[in-house]
Amino acid sequence: MKNGLTLFLGVFATLALSWAGLLLAAHKQLGSLPQFKDPVEETLNPLPLSGQARQGALVYQDLGCVSCHTQQVRHEGFGNDVGEHSRAWGERGSYPRDYIRDSVVLIGSNRLGPDLRNVGKRLPESDGDETAQYLYRLLYAPESKLGSGALAHGMPAYKFLFTERVLAGNQPSYKAVKLPSGFGPAAGYEVVPTARAEALVAYLRSLKDTYDYPTERGLNTPAPKKDEHGAAKAGAEKPKEGGH
Amino acid sequence: MNSTVSNSRAEQQEIDASAKWPVLVFLGSALLWLLLGGILQLAANMQLHTPALFAGCEWTTHGRLAPAAQNALVYGWGFNAAFAFGLWLMARLSATTLRHGGWLFVAAKFWNLGVTLGVGGILAGYSTSFDLLEMPRFVVLLLLVAYALIGVWAVTTFGIRNTENVYASQWYLLGAAFWFPWLYSIAQIMLFKTPVRGVLQPIVDAWYVSGLYGLWFVPMALAAIYYFLPKLLGKPVSNYFLAPLGFWWLVGATALAGGSRLIGAPVPVWIPTLGIVANMLLVLPLVVFVLNFLGTLRGSFGAIGRSLSLRFIVLSIAGFFLAAVLGLFLALRDVAAVTQFTLVEGLHDWLTLYACFSTAMFGAAYFYLPRLTGKVWRSSALTGVHFGATVLGIALLVIGMAGAGCTQAHRLADASVSFASITDALAGWHTLNSAAFGLLLIGHTAFFINFVWIACPINSRDTAVAEIPVPPTLTLATKEGHA
Repeated sequence: MKNGLTLFLGVFATLALSWAGLLLAAHKQLGSLPQFKDPVEETLNPLPLSGQARQGALVYQDLGCVSCHTQQVRHEGFGNDVGEHSRAWGERGSYPRDYIRDSVVLIGSNRLGPDLRNVGKRLPESDGDETAQYLYRLLYAPESKLGSGALAHGMPAYKFLFTERVLAGNQPSYKAVKLPSGFGPAAGYEVVPTARAEALVAYLRSLKDTYDYPTERGLNTPAPKKDEHGAAKAGAEKPKEGGH
Repeated sequence: MNSTVSNSRAEQQEIDASAKWPVLVFLGSALLWLLLGGILQLAANMQLHTPALFAGCEWTTHGRLAPAAQNALVYGWGFNAAFAFGLWLMARLSATTLRHGGWLFVAAKFWNLGVTLGVGGILAGYSTSFDLLEMPRFVVLLLLVAYALIGVWAVTTFGIRNTENVYASQWYLLGAAFWFPWLYSIAQIMLFKTPVRGVLQPIVDAWYVSGLYGLWFVPMALAAIYYFLPKLLGKPVSNYFLAPLGFWWLVGATALAGGSRLIGAPVPVWIPTLGIVANMLLVLPLVVFVLNFLGTLRGSFGAIGRSLSLRFIVLSIAGFFLAAVLGLFLALRDVAAVTQFTLVEGLHDWLTLYACFSTAMFGAAYFYLPRLTGKVWRSSALTGVHFGATVLGIALLVIGMAGAGCTQAHRLADASVSFASITDALAGWHTLNSAAFGLLLIGHTAFFINFVWIACPINSRDTAVAEIPVPPTLTLATKEGHA
């Protein structure tokens, strides 16, 4: 090769092709994916995040939770995220539509910790204060015991998301974190979550993809077995829009 | 190469003199980042087996330390080292001096200021959490302006070349010089300026990360290999006529290979499929590189022991093939179903950045520093420590990360194994990796001390003056495939 211009044009074409073929094409397909209106219940899905959960997403981002946690459930037949004898990271695999409510989409690529896409659904007590208390305790003292083992192995404590306050004879706050002995503060003190901890917990509790979109449901059934003539058996529903 | 201009020692000296200070400034900053990034990386890895380590402080929680280390190594060490090497090689191969190098000091200042603010920003909580784009938005313009200055220098140096032919190393350098700013600005615009919606964001990020490794770091390493292999062995690249094919096929397929990072992800299935196909197409350029590199090395294995640069370059070739073959395996759907989200994937990226790219930069530095400064390496013990630590560190990390990844993959696939017991099973492997990162850090420190002795105006006074051997005869230099 001797010609600098040919070289430059080739270099340009390489990246232009990759950008147009991958990003632009994907944008054409997914860029305006709308919420889905349930024909019976007339609800719009996915539901937008609450204001506090939105703030929590920012805390999730700034603390770099994505370093160890994914937020994507692979479909049945690929990996063992859902289905029988699986880790049951969710009730179904994730669809592109699940993510249109998030302003920053962090699907992650590391599972040093468990997947969190449906953590709001998976928690031991799935309603109210109990869930929040569980998450506060997990963040403040992950090494504290729950039943036979620790709450979380290998996760660092996020004590800086909490404040330790002197009780000075007052009644403890209703928000105070209930901690087992040995992990709590000294007598006469209480541990309360900061606004950031509350937002983070609100965000984690909002993580649940429970609505199953009829348009995408077919994606979750494993690929049908091919018969002798190589034709796929009927049964796989073809997605109408925004599908794979 | 054009026989009338290449390889005259006087002219090389003139080129080296013009490149001396910009190259030393870039390499010096690169080495400081290598040490800092190494310390951060070691600390972040130790947190994996000792979660309580530095967990009390918000700035040093694992989720911030790990990306800060990665960014310091990629943008601090990787880019500065590539700038130093790329500018020098471009001037040498274009047989022209590096003009008005003073502007490059300005660029170096801005670039390093940008990376400092970026890494600090991650630690302070301004991270965007997108892989390799974690640095906060306020440093982007700084980095792009600094890069523009550096890139323009490389391209104009190429533009005013005094050679007839354009050598393989120059294709890779010129390509990388254009690809990075395009990749980076497109990713910044699509993720932060006018953010795309939903899962398009991870698609953009995967495209950028794959491009950064495949179209910036790998081309830099290949430029070094194509230059130093014939240079240090004193013979032309064998089967050089295949090199253009290897180049176009490699970059064309790499540019489309990003989707393979999203196998199984909630994205349209054609994206990972395209990535898998593009990855499989990479087999052909690999064959070309085997013919080029191993063909040149054949019969000259005895020479490897005599040159430190050559030993690092051979290490880089090994790292390149290892990373490429691992990449092919990880792009297979059935393999990905098991290895996904484990440290095996981390191993692939680390191999590209360290075993392939960084070793090539070390090899290059051992060659050009004595020529730029006119001094010898003062301590051969320290160069030995550096090479030994690098080889041993790479070997340990390949074992450690592959072992950890396989343990993790095997247990994640079995739902009856509790998640906590996976974490416990990994602790030993993480400890091994920490030891390996520590070992690499020792090697880098040894290199840094030697660098100060050869390059620092004050500390290098007592260092002996180097005798640069006369380049090989012109009969070889006139042939294609010889730089």
